[in-house]
Amino acid sequence: MDGISLQAVDWSVDTGELWVVAGAQGAGKTALLETLAGLIPAAAGEVRVFGRRVDASGDDAPGLQETRRRLGLVFDGGGRLFSALSVAENILLPWCYHQNRSYAEALSELEPLIRHLQLESILSRKPTSLSRSWSRRVALARSLVLEPDLLLLDNPLAGLDAVHLRWWRGFLAEALAGHPVLGGEPLTIVATADAVRPYIGLDPRFALVASGHWRILTDSEAVLAATGEEGFGDLTEPRP
Amino acid sequence: MEATPPPLKNAGSKEDSDGGLGWLEALLGEWRSLTRLGAFILITLATAARRHRDNSEVMRPQVLGEIHRCGVRLLPIISFLGVILGVVFVGQTVSLMEQFGAGNFTGTFIVTVFVREMVPMIAGLLVLARVGTASVVELGTARALGEVEALEALGIDPIHYLVVPRVIGFAVAVVSLSAYLILISLGSGYLFAYARGLKASPIEFFTQIAGAMSALDFPLWILKTLLFGALTGWVICYQGLARAMTLEEVGPATTRTVAVCVVGCLMIDALFITVYLLL
Repeated sequence: MDGISLQAVDWSVDTGELWVVAGAQGAGKTALLETLAGLIPAAAGEVRVFGRRVDASGDDAPGLQETRRRLGLVFDGGGRLFSALSVAENILLPWCYHQNRSYAEALSELEPLIRHLQLESILSRKPTSLSRSWSRRVALARSLVLEPDLLLLDNPLAGLDAVHLRWWRGFLAEALAGHPVLGGEPLTIVATADAVRPYIGLDPRFALVASGHWRILTDSEAVLAATGEEGFGDLTEPRP
Repeated sequence: MEATPPPLKNAGSKEDSDGGLGWLEALLGEWRSLTRLGAFILITLATAARRHRDNSEVMRPQVLGEIHRCGVRLLPIISFLGVILGVVFVGQTVSLMEQFGAGNFTGTFIVTVFVREMVPMIAGLLVLARVGTASVVELGTARALGEVEALEALGIDPIHYLVVPRVIGFAVAVVSLSAYLILISLGSGYLFAYARGLKASPIEFFTQIAGAMSALDFPLWILKTLLFGALTGWVICYQGLARAMTLEEVGPATTRTVAVCVVGCLMIDALFITVYLLL
């Protein structure tokens, strides 16, 4: 089973849920999100998002594009911003591309979202000049401009200071409740995490990725019992 | 404890025979690369044809930006190069041919050697050196840092957004810069030759050169320079984007791009010489 980071995943997500997929670094959490986004194919089985297959064997390129427009993926770390573009262009590009509108139109249309995410003062900067926390927030804005129904967040709360952590927890609560700036409807969110404690209080559902296996846990108490107070105890085998 | 000496290599051993077949493997490897590049070119052409009207508010500035980067920004250096080439090649050729009493052949010589062969190659190489290498680094770095996957995740086709504008930009730039280089070189070459005693007026000089060109020269010249530029764009994008890459691989990809572009342009050149000979 070389190259397979996770197996026997039997999982379905309902609208408006927050799922936290916990696991140590290298356990396969990122691969899981990239599989959901149709970026890497599943080795076996079926992956359906909004009822439509997104794995490569589906061979449905237009359908895959449509699915991708309905989901927002925020990558780990700095969010993989486009280094050749400014912060504003990074945020507005997907909207301009899919709506076939200019950056000026996009800026006036999306100004409430940008202001809500407190990004208006850094719009002209290049991503390389931003800290990782702000890069991640820009990546979040980029994923939200298409008003996705499903938000995939790869370890969004890792390495944040107290101010950013508080902001992200507030954002998650708003998104789950449905905020006017985010389209008004409750978002469905899947977040990966290497520490589950910051999510307690947001009423998430938990899944654990350990040693290539998938476990759905009933509540945060079960997760903390399984992972230990500080990490994941001996349930996981961190990989390089 | 007895140490066992390492086995000695024998002449004609398996390693030698592998080395003997190494060239065949290298040749097959090059052939595979060529077929993959061919597939990449076909995918780009299909995407450009299918989506030429899509997302115009984003794509038009992208294309214009590439034309500006590959063409307009190179005008100063092309102007300088044109003056130098005019003096060194055109001016001296005209003067020498006048001295040897072969002035009637000046037009034919300049069209055959300079306009058809030298200028497209020089313009193509200059665009490759000044913009192409930077583009491979830019694309390769974006690939290595996962920015291309980020584009895909946003439903943006990387071939449409990154490759098509570059191929158009390089093609338009090489055609335009070649034409500009010819004008500057012929102008400065004439001035140099005139200063050294050329009797012909500017009208006579340019009429002689235009007269040495056939009707087919124009479309073939445009096609050739267009292919030089487009091939450069394709190779750059293929080397930078077409496969997963680490940051360490960006440097080798850049040097490989230069080699492939030079060989590719020479092959196109050879093809066009054959066409000229047949016509």
